[in-house]
Amino acid sequence: MAGDPIDAGGQTPLARVPTGIPGLDTVLRGGLLTAGIYIVRGEPGAGKTIFGNQLCFNHAAAGNRAVYVTLLAETHDRMMQHMQTMSFFDRARIPDGIYYVNGFHVLVEDGIKEFIDLLRREIRTHNATLLILDGLVATEESSGSDREFRKFIHELQAHIAIEGCTALLLTNGRRNEYHPEHTMVDGLIELHDVLFGTQTERELEVRKFRGTDALRGRHSFRITDRGIVVYPRIEALLARPTADDQWPDERCATGVNQLDAMLGGGIPRGTATLVLGASGSGKTSLGLHFLSRSSALEPGLLFGFYEMPLRLRHKAAGLGIKLDGLIEQGQLEFLWYPPTEDILDALGDRLLEAVRRRRVKRLVIDGLLGFQEIAADRPHRIGRFLTALANELRVLNVTTVYTAETRNLIGGVIEGPTSGLSTIAENLILLRYVEIRSQLRRLISIVKMRDSDFDSSLREFRITATGIELARTFDSAEAILSGFPQLKTEELPADNAARRPRVK
Amino acid sequence: MATVLVVDDEFGIVDVLETILTDEGYRVLTACNGKQGLVRLSEEKPDVILSDFMMPILGGGEMLRTMAAQPAYRRIPVIMMSSLGEDVIAERCKGYAAFLHKPFRVAAVLSTVARVLGTGANDAA
Repeated sequence: MAGDPIDAGGQTPLARVPTGIPGLDTVLRGGLLTAGIYIVRGEPGAGKTIFGNQLCFNHAAAGNRAVYVTLLAETHDRMMQHMQTMSFFDRARIPDGIYYVNGFHVLVEDGIKEFIDLLRREIRTHNATLLILDGLVATEESSGSDREFRKFIHELQAHIAIEGCTALLLTNGRRNEYHPEHTMVDGLIELHDVLFGTQTERELEVRKFRGTDALRGRHSFRITDRGIVVYPRIEALLARPTADDQWPDERCATGVNQLDAMLGGGIPRGTATLVLGASGSGKTSLGLHFLSRSSALEPGLLFGFYEMPLRLRHKAAGLGIKLDGLIEQGQLEFLWYPPTEDILDALGDRLLEAVRRRRVKRLVIDGLLGFQEIAADRPHRIGRFLTALANELRVLNVTTVYTAETRNLIGGVIEGPTSGLSTIAENLILLRYVEIRSQLRRLISIVKMRDSDFDSSLREFRITATGIELARTFDSAEAILSGFPQLKTEELPADNAARRPRVK
Repeated sequence: MATVLVVDDEFGIVDVLETILTDEGYRVLTACNGKQGLVRLSEEKPDVILSDFMMPILGGGEMLRTMAAQPAYRRIPVIMMSSLGEDVIAERCKGYAAFLHKPFRVAAVLSTVARVLGTGANDAA
C-alpha cells in the first residue's frame, strides 16, 4: 500500500492497490483504492485487455490473487498467446495467482443474478483481491433495462466491498460518452488512440477518481514489450518541482577560459544557459567544451536530437576536446533521440531518469528545437513543458546548457526558436555570424546572466583544432561590426546600430 | 455411436468442439463448468469427457476429483484441455487420460479422442 499525502482532509490515507503499471501509479497518486470499483473504457485496440492482464500479473507478483472474468472477448488461450510476448507475463502465476474464467454462458443462460453470484463465488473461492471483468458491455446488453444494469453495478460494488476486492470493469466506449453507471463507480479511466496529423499517440485520462486526487488531463502511454508504460504529462507531474530551490552561489567552468573570464568565473551553478546561434556557429562545440569538465563529482550528460554520439565524439576529438576517457569512466554519457516519432513526455522522462540515475550536474541539451519537433502537433504544450523541466533541473542543482538554432543565419535581429525562453534560461549567450568582405566571422556575446555582473562586450571567436578561442579584447569584434576591420577601435564610429543584437 | 461430454466455460470452444465431433459421428453433450458437467453425468454416461481446467463455479480439477470419488464415474476417461502447460495440470489433476494443449487443431482433438476411446474400449473389455 502506498501512502498518499493528498488523501482527503489530512485523514488516515486510504488503502491502495498499486497497479504496478509504470507511470500509472504516479498518475493515480499511489494506485487504485482497495475495494474500489473502476471502469476502464476505450475503443477496440486501445489496450484494455493488456491493461487488465498487466494489473493481474503485477498483483499476483506481489503475492496477491486475481480473477480475470471474460465475457465476449478473445479466447483465453489466444489472450495468453498475445500476453506472453510481454515481460510482465509469467505463466507460473496461473492458476494459483490468476484464475481465468469465462462467464458469458452463465450470464446469457442464467441471467444477471446468477452472474453476480458467479463473480462473488470466484472471488471467494480463489481469495481474490482483484477482479477484472473484461466485456462489461455484454452485461449491459444482457440486462433487461438500464435499471437492472445499474442494480448489477450496485450489487457488485456491495460484494467487492465486503470481500475487500478491487474490481476493474473493462468496456468499449468513446471519449465524452457518459453513462449512468459512471456516477456509481469509484473511478473512470479512459484509453484513447489519438490521431495527430498522420501520427497516432495513445493517451490515458483519469476522468473520475473518488476519494483522492489524480493527475488530471491526458497522459501519453505506449504498449511496449513491458506492457503499458504511462508517461505522466511533465507539466502536470512537475507543476511544482520535487524539491526546494537551491542557491549554491558557485560557478561552473565552461571549458573555455576566456569565456569564463567574461562570465565572472563561469556559469552560476544550478542555472540554465541558452546558447543561441545560427547553424554551424559553434553551439555544440561550446557544449562539448562545457562537458569536457565533467568529473566524478560533476557527472555530465549530453542529451541530443541531431548529431549521433559517435559523430559528436569525433567532433570533440577534432577540436582537441578529450571526452573518450570521461565516457569510459562513466563520468559522461551521450544520449541521442532523433526527433522523429516520439512522445514528448517520454523524452522528458528519459532525460530526468538519466539525470537522476547518474546524479548529473553538467547537462547539455543539444538542440532545443528537438522538443518542439516532437511536439509539433501540440505547440501550446512546449512552453509549459520546458518550464517544468527547467525548474526540476534547477532543484536537482544541474547546470544546464541548452543550444538552440536561430532562424536567420546573418543579421542584427536574432529570432529565437520559441517564445518564453526567459522562463527556462537565466543566462543567454549569443553566437553570430557576421559577413565582412565575403568572409564569415563569428562573434560571441553574453546577453544576460542571473543576478551577476558579466562582460557584455562582443568578442570575435574562432573554432580551431584546439577548440573555441576567443579574442582577448573586443577590438576585433568592434572592427568587424563597423565593417572596417582594418581600422583601429578608436577610429570606429560611435553610433552603430549593428553593434548590439536585438533578440526577439 | 460414442458419446462425448464437452465441459468448457468458453462457449466458442464448446461450439467448435460440438460441431467437429458431431461431424465425425459422435454424440455430443455440453456443459459450461464442472458443476454442470457433474449434472450431465448424473443424467447420461458419456464414453469420454473433454474438460477445460480453469472454469467458474467448479474447475476441471475439482470435477475430476469428484468423479474419482464416485465408482460410477471413475472409469470414464477424461481429456484435460488447457492453455497452461501439462506440467501445471499434472500437478493439480490426477487420473486424467490425455492432455490437449490450447489452442489445438482439429486433427489433434479427433486423434486424441479416438485414441482415448480405443484405450477405454480395451479397458472395458
